[in-house]
Amino acid sequence: MFKCVHKSIALTVATLVLSSVSIFASEAKKDAIDGGMTYTRDKGMYSNYHINSQVDALKLNYGRTPTANELKAWDTDIMPDGTGLPEGEGSVEEGDELYEENCAVCHGDFGAGGVGYPTLTGGDISSLKNQRTAPGMDAPKRTIGTYWPQASTLIWYIRDAMPYAHPKSLTDNEIYAITAFLLANNEIEVDGKVQEDADVLNKKNFMTIKMPNRDGFYPDVNGENGVENVRKFFADPKNFGANTVRCMKDCKDDNATVMRIGIEMKDVVPGYSTERDLPAKKKGGATHPGKEAYEKNCAVCHKTDAMGAPDVGNKKAWAKVMKKGMDNVVNNAIKGTGAMPPKGGNPDLTDAQIKEIVDYMSSNSK
Amino acid sequence: MNKMTKTSSTDMNIMVEQSVEMTSRRDFFRKAAVYSASAVVASNVLSPVELLAADDENIIHHQKWGTTLGDELNKNPYGVPSPYEHNNVRRTTSLLSSAGDMHAAVSLTPLHEQQGIITPNGLFFTRTHNGVAHIDPNKYRLMIHGLVEKPIVLTLDDIKKYPSESVIHFLECPSNGAAEWKGPQFNSVQFVKGMMSCTEWTGVRLKTVLADLGVDPKAKWMLAEGQDGSEMSRTVPTEKAMDDAMLVYAMNGEALRAEQGYPVRLLLPGWEANLCVKWLKRLEFGTEPWYCKEETSKYTTLTASGKAIQHFYPLEVNSIITSPCPEKNWEFLEDGDMVEIQGLAWSGQGKIKAVDLSFDGGKNWVEASLKGLVLPKAWTRFSYMHKFKEGETLLLSSRAMDEAGYVQPTVNQEKKIIGVEGVYHRNSICTWEIMKNGEVNNVQMRS
Repeated sequence: MFKCVHKSIALTVATLVLSSVSIFASEAKKDAIDGGMTYTRDKGMYSNYHINSQVDALKLNYGRTPTANELKAWDTDIMPDGTGLPEGEGSVEEGDELYEENCAVCHGDFGAGGVGYPTLTGGDISSLKNQRTAPGMDAPKRTIGTYWPQASTLIWYIRDAMPYAHPKSLTDNEIYAITAFLLANNEIEVDGKVQEDADVLNKKNFMTIKMPNRDGFYPDVNGENGVENVRKFFADPKNFGANTVRCMKDCKDDNATVMRIGIEMKDVVPGYSTERDLPAKKKGGATHPGKEAYEKNCAVCHKTDAMGAPDVGNKKAWAKVMKKGMDNVVNNAIKGTGAMPPKGGNPDLTDAQIKEIVDYMSSNSK
Repeated sequence: MNKMTKTSSTDMNIMVEQSVEMTSRRDFFRKAAVYSASAVVASNVLSPVELLAADDENIIHHQKWGTTLGDELNKNPYGVPSPYEHNNVRRTTSLLSSAGDMHAAVSLTPLHEQQGIITPNGLFFTRTHNGVAHIDPNKYRLMIHGLVEKPIVLTLDDIKKYPSESVIHFLECPSNGAAEWKGPQFNSVQFVKGMMSCTEWTGVRLKTVLADLGVDPKAKWMLAEGQDGSEMSRTVPTEKAMDDAMLVYAMNGEALRAEQGYPVRLLLPGWEANLCVKWLKRLEFGTEPWYCKEETSKYTTLTASGKAIQHFYPLEVNSIITSPCPEKNWEFLEDGDMVEIQGLAWSGQGKIKAVDLSFDGGKNWVEASLKGLVLPKAWTRFSYMHKFKEGETLLLSSRAMDEAGYVQPTVNQEKKIIGVEGVYHRNSICTWEIMKNGEVNNVQMRS
């Protein structure tokens, strides 16, 4: 019995020695582009995972070749060298009107922000050095004019992702116009001068734009050495804030003291709770017919008062609105009023749906 | 017998309701024993034995669930958590959104309830830029083109035809903890570090798909673009695509959740979750980076020099103590109790090598044990047994080290290099202040 136990211990030790070599994990090397590890796929192992080694030698001929039209339909990115810029043109003045109609509701007049969504204009590049190390200090201003390195990013993003609630609804002429308006309001030069109302942005003069913060980023990812520059950047941990010293005793830390929470952020949904109880019963009744359409089309602006639109649940604001009478309110919603575009910017909504939505919003604000 | 049992369960329900009014457990038992002298004594399990004040009501009496027929087993064809777990949910805050709009916002994983290293699919943190897209899998197409000899279009069935692999990786938004560069703001582990989750992903190695396409060696970069309203896109070095990148269509054994990019998402293990493009539409290979909106105007780390770090891919070594934490504190402990300190460590640059704990705000450290699986670019659990002393205050911190040799920086060390306006990639040491009564608060050690 004793002998037997002895043997099994010896066996365990042997297994442990082997395991640290290669039985339980493939080789790890610190040679990744990001300064981290890569793992070989060797002897049926990938790190700690078993793998089917047959797979790595295969070339699987799946899928089909896209047609020329399919490629044209999806390959719509716009690059800094002008690749992908569409035909078309638009003036600053046209852009002004389109911006008011489609963009101001979220980004504020002239892109000045203030309603919770990104501020697009204003500020100075020198503000990027601002560090709010004490309360009341100015923040860095990260706008198109002070921060964005390429104008191609702007026109590409407007075409693919804006307006927020109805992306891809603008024509090529319209995206040139809105881009021209935003460049002008950021005082960014086209053809060597800041554009006036009548000036037109097109595929050709687009390439004369040099964004003010073009050189504000590192490592340099352009050109033949772009990827190697990234590798070099991550090779030095000091560049990205990594520490390599593991101090265990009497560690010094620049007179660090305890900083406690000043004003606690408590605005969380649902509220904090770790209780294990049965949930409160929901009130019964059918869902209001306008609820879903409201959430899809209107909640973006009407959920909170941050946008200046009467927010659902705000009795005072809605009492004021409803003084105009149901028919007038519905009519305003259909035609648009103030900063609100017709039908909240979704022409697909029927008048009957708008009426349901207004009824839902007002009846939930009593 | 049957009749008696029924009576007892009804009585018990009345008593449970009344117990809510009572102030302490001990008080409840005492009162319950007196109250039940007639009605309950007759119906308790041990009847006619006289009850003692120390007897636990929950043991002495039959429970409702033991005396009634349960639900039909397939009442919920897709299972749901126990109704008692309804507070274990993702949470949002208007601070991490645009004006309270929850289409471009983030929800955070309840790390205080997280067990093990696998996040349940319903609790996986979610960040979207234009709401959650719902793609019809039958109409789903992925295009791979650009500087390749053979561009292709794949359907979902095509992608599933490739040999699959399953790997466990965390996914973290580089904004995790972004609200706290200037100091602590949230008293909650969920909001301090919950912009991350960890799951077992299943899909195909991107390298396996690309093997047949003839990617031009000059194509150093790959564009990944999504199909949602924001067409979320990013530029990735081809080298990563050829290393451990995957096209994933499943998480924790089932199809991706819509919030996570159903039906197909790009997975770049260890890198910014934002690079792991959801609702993947196309991959294009080229010689120059694309300058996408989410790699210029956002997801760039502005430093005190006024210049910003771009293409900041890996999530650096990091850790957080999840027990105790502000949500799950030590108020329930008695003086002298042994208690387990546990938490999660992770690194986008390799495996976790070690985790140290400090009880004095970072002056002295002891090594904790790692437990469970230790895998590359995956959550790793750590554990340390501590003797709780009532009346003692502690500044409890964890500090992880990874296989690549990187150690989590202190708040001051990180501040020195990045400043306080970087927004992204905050991985400095987190500290909980344990108060005399066992309460736990989020603090920072900094000058």
